[in-house]
Amino acid sequence: MAEEEEGKEYRWETGYEKTWEAIQEDDEGLLEGSVAEIIQRAKRKRQAERHGNTRLGMMRHLFLVIDNSDCMSNQDLKPTRQLCTIKLLEGFIDEFFDQNPISQMGIIITKSKRAEKISELAGNPRKHIKAVQQLTQVACSGEPSLQNALELALRSLRMLPSHASREILILMGSLTTCDPGDISVTVQNLKAQGVRCSVIALAAEVHICHKLCRETGGLFGVILDDCHFRDQLFQHIDPPPAATFLDSSLIKMGFPHHLMQEGKEASLTMCMCHVDSTDGEGGRLNSGGYFCPQCCSKYCELPVECKACGLTLVSAPHLARSYHHLFPVDNFKELEFRDMQDKIELCFACQKRFGEHDKHVYECGTCSRIFCLECDMFIHDLLHTCPGCATNHSTSQSMSNDSVPPR
Amino acid sequence: MKLSVDGLLVYFPYDYIYPEQYAYMLELKKGLDAKGHCLLEMPSGTGKTVSLLSLIVAYMIANPLSVTKLIYCSRTVPEIEKVLEELKKLMTYYEKERGQAPKMVGLVLSSRKNMCIHPQVSKERDGKIVDGRCHSLTASYVRERHNYDDSIPICSFYEGFDIEGREVQLEPGVYSLDDLKEYGQERNWCPYFLARYTILHANIVVYSYHYLLDPKIADVVSKELSRSSVVVFDEAHNIDNVCIDSMSVKINRRIIDRSTANIQLLEQTVNEMKEDDAKKLKEEYQRLVEGLRDASVARETDVVLSNPVLPDEVLKEAVPGSIRTAEHFVGFLKRFVEYLKTRLRVQHVVLESPASFLKDVYQKVCIERKPLRFCHERLASLLRTLEIADLTDFSPLILITHLATLVSTYTKGFTIIVEPFDDKTPTVSNPILHFSCLDSSIAIKPVFDRFQTVVITSGTLSPLDMYPKILDFHPVIMSSFTMTLARPCLLPMIVSKGNDQVAISSRFETREDVAVVRNYGQLLVEIATIVPDGVVCFFTSYLYLESVVASWYDQGVVDSLQRNKLLFIETQDAAETSLALLNYIRACESGRGAVLLSVARGKVSEGVDFDHHLGRAVLMFGIPYVYTQSRILRARLEYLRDQFQIRENDFLTFDAMRHAAQCVGRAIRGKTDYGIMIFADKRFSRADKRNKLPKWIQEHLKDSLCNLSTEEAVQVNKTRIFIFIKVLLVSDQK
Repeated sequence: MAEEEEGKEYRWETGYEKTWEAIQEDDEGLLEGSVAEIIQRAKRKRQAERHGNTRLGMMRHLFLVIDNSDCMSNQDLKPTRQLCTIKLLEGFIDEFFDQNPISQMGIIITKSKRAEKISELAGNPRKHIKAVQQLTQVACSGEPSLQNALELALRSLRMLPSHASREILILMGSLTTCDPGDISVTVQNLKAQGVRCSVIALAAEVHICHKLCRETGGLFGVILDDCHFRDQLFQHIDPPPAATFLDSSLIKMGFPHHLMQEGKEASLTMCMCHVDSTDGEGGRLNSGGYFCPQCCSKYCELPVECKACGLTLVSAPHLARSYHHLFPVDNFKELEFRDMQDKIELCFACQKRFGEHDKHVYECGTCSRIFCLECDMFIHDLLHTCPGCATNHSTSQSMSNDSVPPR
Repeated sequence: MKLSVDGLLVYFPYDYIYPEQYAYMLELKKGLDAKGHCLLEMPSGTGKTVSLLSLIVAYMIANPLSVTKLIYCSRTVPEIEKVLEELKKLMTYYEKERGQAPKMVGLVLSSRKNMCIHPQVSKERDGKIVDGRCHSLTASYVRERHNYDDSIPICSFYEGFDIEGREVQLEPGVYSLDDLKEYGQERNWCPYFLARYTILHANIVVYSYHYLLDPKIADVVSKELSRSSVVVFDEAHNIDNVCIDSMSVKINRRIIDRSTANIQLLEQTVNEMKEDDAKKLKEEYQRLVEGLRDASVARETDVVLSNPVLPDEVLKEAVPGSIRTAEHFVGFLKRFVEYLKTRLRVQHVVLESPASFLKDVYQKVCIERKPLRFCHERLASLLRTLEIADLTDFSPLILITHLATLVSTYTKGFTIIVEPFDDKTPTVSNPILHFSCLDSSIAIKPVFDRFQTVVITSGTLSPLDMYPKILDFHPVIMSSFTMTLARPCLLPMIVSKGNDQVAISSRFETREDVAVVRNYGQLLVEIATIVPDGVVCFFTSYLYLESVVASWYDQGVVDSLQRNKLLFIETQDAAETSLALLNYIRACESGRGAVLLSVARGKVSEGVDFDHHLGRAVLMFGIPYVYTQSRILRARLEYLRDQFQIRENDFLTFDAMRHAAQCVGRAIRGKTDYGIMIFADKRFSRADKRNKLPKWIQEHLKDSLCNLSTEEAVQVNKTRIFIFIKVLLVSDQK
């Protein structure tokens, strides 16, 4: 029993690989990992599709469904599919809440023909990460049940107000699903409820998953390796376009300030987030915190939904961070470096000297600065603002004037 | 889009055309120009039908004199419907582009069962019963009797058609089965007879092979089609077997018994008639004396598709005296049936030529060759005279007369085999007399002779040079096209040994070998764990399938299979199989995944498509050779060797490989589809087998994919191939 950990298999115990066959020439006769290229290409493509002035579902309610069945102990991702998934998910959850501060997430695992909710729909990344990390202790067993997992997620999502976007993201390692009933009924239900289901398959395309995504308007992806897996996973961080039937409504939000009670000796109080937690960490009594403007409950961190009165508590920077999804930086123009060779030498952002290996350079349409590929990616993925435009007074002014208030 | 194919303006109803479609049209055009026959192979799912239709229709418009008619033969009703759909699309495109559709009538002809709109008759399920009931409502004497006795039922739709239908020509357009039925309902016309009448002047006719190849039907339906027609046989990889089947007769004890009953009934009716209405019999006698002159007049003008069952000389002569009167003929038949009965009473296998059979008939029951020849016609005439409405009851007797006519007409290319028992059950006496056609060219010869262009096409016709030999014709164009793919969507590979390096093969000697069976099992289990959704396996025979599954069960293979997928098995029972198939599809649809074990040459391998998720992998366990011990096959092989210089082994390999290709081809039904094809037999890797696969499979079968072991195959699948499938997917999304 102690020797369960088959993950530590020796090199000579694995199947034989004809490594020389894995190397393939690309179109130009170069030996290059074709996978990386595919990823790169897909990324650019995605970026090109993104443009401003689309209505996005900003208040996301996402259920992560994690397959925890037998096949997740497969070693095609190193060390195992399960461990790799967990590692990537930690990053994903952090990033998700960083980019979508006013969203919520819940986690469901499915194994042995059952589905189990390991973390309720909530906006606290730390709790989810902890729940995910605990999965390493859970042994993979049995077959997954897609239907049970979907039904379980749907039960929670059904209650949500009509302006919230509802999503399910499934990480599917198995090629089969063991369901109690007709899954197509569930798919129709999800469609009727406007739940957007996306699947990332770790093995191969399974018809029902593809169909599920197609019907509900989600994305379907099959991973090639762990890098691609990461890429596929992280594309779900950007909020999806809102479904047309989603209501738009004004949402009441609270913007609590961090207050230290002053004056006479501050009374030490528990915050609401940790009031019923049993473990010592974080549950200390202190005097400062965020106080709900409506009912004065105390919280130690934002964003959070007030447990007492249900008000969404955020800080202004959170909203601002969500905001950039609505106004993405325009796509840069791709230019042949050869044509530009004599005109330009350095990347405006990183000051890197362009060399022989740069096939393309990128030009911002507004400020006409030139960037290298890496910076182009970085600006669009993370920075969300063009350094060229930001440093140029006139363009940065005009940019903010162009902005349309968020809808 | 509009395009020019070698100077001919072709309207193509899609925005894009594949290069192979263009190449196909080009070859086809050459064939039409040369007024010769063509043999074209192109993989399924690349738009064969639409290429054929758009080119031939364009050709007909451009050269209205040289090609007047397109006869499109397909195998099944759904396939026929698909052809009409494409045709409709083409005509709408013409209308859109040129403002008006070409003045062409395209229609479908099918059996009464599919076309009847009579409220009661159309409820019947069995085709034969529908035919019989229709006949009893529409036969000329029934209608005559109805004239003075209203209580005799007739079909109002047929009457409606008879009164008005013949004068009015069908409006130009394309009529599918449903359209015809609707049209018939509206005007109170019988769609079946309307279609049969209309095919004479229609420009495009779509129907089943049998209307052209089966001499019994061809004579009724297709005899007046003009020479300047183009005939297309689609999905024609089995055309030689269709030809042979249509000319062969199988007689067992049950047929003999039932035909004896038929004869008694005939005798009784003749006697009755003699008492009430002797005049009618006399008239018939008179007619027979004059000979079948009408028929021969028709043939002189060469408009009739010559019926190989009824050779020319039969028509020119009068019916011989010995069978002219009804009683004599009945007696004659009785003697013949008795003779057949004695022939069936054998203890050992008898194999003889038609000539010695005829001699024996003469010696034993004094029946000469000449009257035997007229048997078929004579019986038809008698049944007409006796006004027997329901012909279905007489089918056994008709079969026997068919045998009599065939056996006395042909001395070459046929053989008679009497087997006292089935090979599988040597203790149970079940004598069968096979009158078997050995030469597939006999049935199709009139078609080749008669029509200026005959196109034989299918997804799997390789090796191409075999078909001209066995069908005995000279094609002007013979080509095989491959599929142009933006990405590799099929992965054929040959697995020749198991993990323990034991060669796997379904050879007779190693068939029972535990190691081989186990290796097959392992291969399937491995594939089932890494391939999503549906996996289809083909075995060489039901017997082999059963024995393998039994030992898999003992070895625990079945259990490990069921851990990943559900297991379904094709059996000889049609109902059971279709239920299994239905559930297999359900399992694939719902994501459960399933494995279907079936048999090459079975129902599944011929008629069912496993597109997309229904067949992500196909495994062919062994080479599907035909049962070589069969005497009919042996006789045919011998005949082929003597007549066409085809070596036995060549023919057997050809036949096996085309079936193997047919089986694995079930999984790829289009360009967006993808699938793995695994040939699990050592012998596939030999050049003589590999070269006989269709070009579009061979192209992807690289040397590194031949001669793999199970483990290697799985590894290939896992690393390269799954990347290949995933890449497909990634690029699909783009």
